[in-house]
Amino acid sequence: MNTIMYDAYTIFWRELKRYKKSRSGVLIRLIQPAIWIIVVGNIFSETQPLIQSVGFEGEYIEFMAPGVIILTAIFTSIFGGVNTLWDRRYGFMNKALTSPISRSAIAIGKMSAISLIAALQASLIIGIALAIGVTFPNPLMIIPIMGIVILFSLGFSGISVTLAATAKSQETFWGMINLLGMPLFMLSPALFPLELLPDWLAVVAKLNPVTYTILLVRELMTGVSEGGIPILISVGVIFAFVVAMVGIASYVFTREVNKPF
Amino acid sequence: MYSIETKSLTKSFGDLVAVNDISFSVEKGEIFGFLGPNGAGKSTTMMIFTTLLKPTNGNASVGGFDVIKNPKQVRENIGFVQQETTVDEYLSGRENLLLQAKLNHIPKNEINPRIDEVLDLIELSDKQHEAVVTYSGGMRKRLDIAGGLLHHPKVLFLDEPTVGLDIQTRRKIWQYIKKIHIQFDMTIFLTTHYMEEADNLCDRIGIMDHGKIQVIDTPQNMKNDLGNEIISLVIDNTENFDSFLVELKKIQFIKKINEDNSKLTLFTSNGTEVIPQIFQISSNLGIKINSISLTQPTLDDVFISYTGHEIRDDNSKYNRRHEHAKMKRLRQ
Repeated sequence: MNTIMYDAYTIFWRELKRYKKSRSGVLIRLIQPAIWIIVVGNIFSETQPLIQSVGFEGEYIEFMAPGVIILTAIFTSIFGGVNTLWDRRYGFMNKALTSPISRSAIAIGKMSAISLIAALQASLIIGIALAIGVTFPNPLMIIPIMGIVILFSLGFSGISVTLAATAKSQETFWGMINLLGMPLFMLSPALFPLELLPDWLAVVAKLNPVTYTILLVRELMTGVSEGGIPILISVGVIFAFVVAMVGIASYVFTREVNKPF
Repeated sequence: MYSIETKSLTKSFGDLVAVNDISFSVEKGEIFGFLGPNGAGKSTTMMIFTTLLKPTNGNASVGGFDVIKNPKQVRENIGFVQQETTVDEYLSGRENLLLQAKLNHIPKNEINPRIDEVLDLIELSDKQHEAVVTYSGGMRKRLDIAGGLLHHPKVLFLDEPTVGLDIQTRRKIWQYIKKIHIQFDMTIFLTTHYMEEADNLCDRIGIMDHGKIQVIDTPQNMKNDLGNEIISLVIDNTENFDSFLVELKKIQFIKKINEDNSKLTLFTSNGTEVIPQIFQISSNLGIKINSISLTQPTLDDVFISYTGHEIRDDNSKYNRRHEHAKMKRLRQ
């Protein structure tokens, strides 16, 4: 067990080093969520009565900020696994596979690095949100929020690593990511309250782990609970999602990398 | 004690037999060169030795451990330097080695001295803190080789260590390989396409083709076996060609004849006496000789004599369905 942790940390260390050295990447990944919060946040500002009808007092932008924080987490982590494909193409993977570290440690190290990077990106978006006037009733809430973002991103990095390990080409990987990312974001109360969704969409949204994460973060940020889902249920759903995804990713990764690329 | 030992090793992908029942062993401390045309099965064999592939049949042990039963122990005892450079461009030279040290479980207090040691060996100490992206191809290769040495493996695998490098760098890499061999007392198993490289570095050479080992010997013995001289001749007409061949084979010093259309290559031990006899035969049969030359054999000639002239995998038409099926099998 100790060795697995040490080995996972080795991979984690490498991934973070690479992230740190690519400063342009940090900025590029911020552009899309920044556009969402600044542009879409202002375009929809007139929808405030809709938000108020379900019990929110503040501005629309405060309502949708948690959605954009999670959007950042979703996209940073779901793209994060792509370097698995590069690693296999350019030999780093074979180097790791012929060293004594275990296969699952490689997957776990990658996932933890991706989730931390996603959380860092999300925290930059929180900074932007604060800068354009979003307020936290209780600033200490940022700690549990970051915890949730890290955990949630770990689950999504699991999806990413699973897809990257099975995909044989960049094209397949990006196709799958696009197929998953946007719908999961749209089928959640990120932009509008759950109560305003048509019934059938609300059912679909309730099957989506993104929904629970956004509700939870929104409740911690604004203090308004929505959709009648208790905090414990949301936390439970997120935990179950993360455990399942990390498990699947480790299993699939170990199985796939043993085949020639 | 053998460093690598393999018996009836076979690897097939569907009906494609990449490695066909090979058995050989590499002695401890030996530099063993593995040669063969593209698609001969060298890479597959190396992937089995480095635990990246499981054999279909037969067994192999590396550094005293079975590659199927104890892959982890094998991995602890090997260094693998791949054909493509695998260093991380964004990391510095030293960080790359640090990563390699951690991957190979080198004890914490030994990591820094070992990194200093190999940096010194490959003469990269002064560039160690610069990002690898600024390194030349040769420097990257040296760094890759250094990474394979850090944990002092019993067996070092080098897959075409000098492919794509200029002559100066190639010679420099040879020097490093020789230095490593002496300093760390390692068994080195390398594949190469350069006969000069094999001749220069290797104690013994194995030539592989069509999934089989065709011959294993020292470079010197291989050259001697061909005779110490080669006569190449180009003839004008192909009339009486067959009887010409028959007559040539009767000359006692000729050990082997390779024919390629109108070009003949004769391996002989006494060229100066053979040439007049060739002229005698050709004038009797009315065959005109366009040119004739007498040379010393190189390892290139040995290679060609075992593997033939035709170019591999480029001469058959690309068959999409066939390739697809092959890739699918590879992935299973």
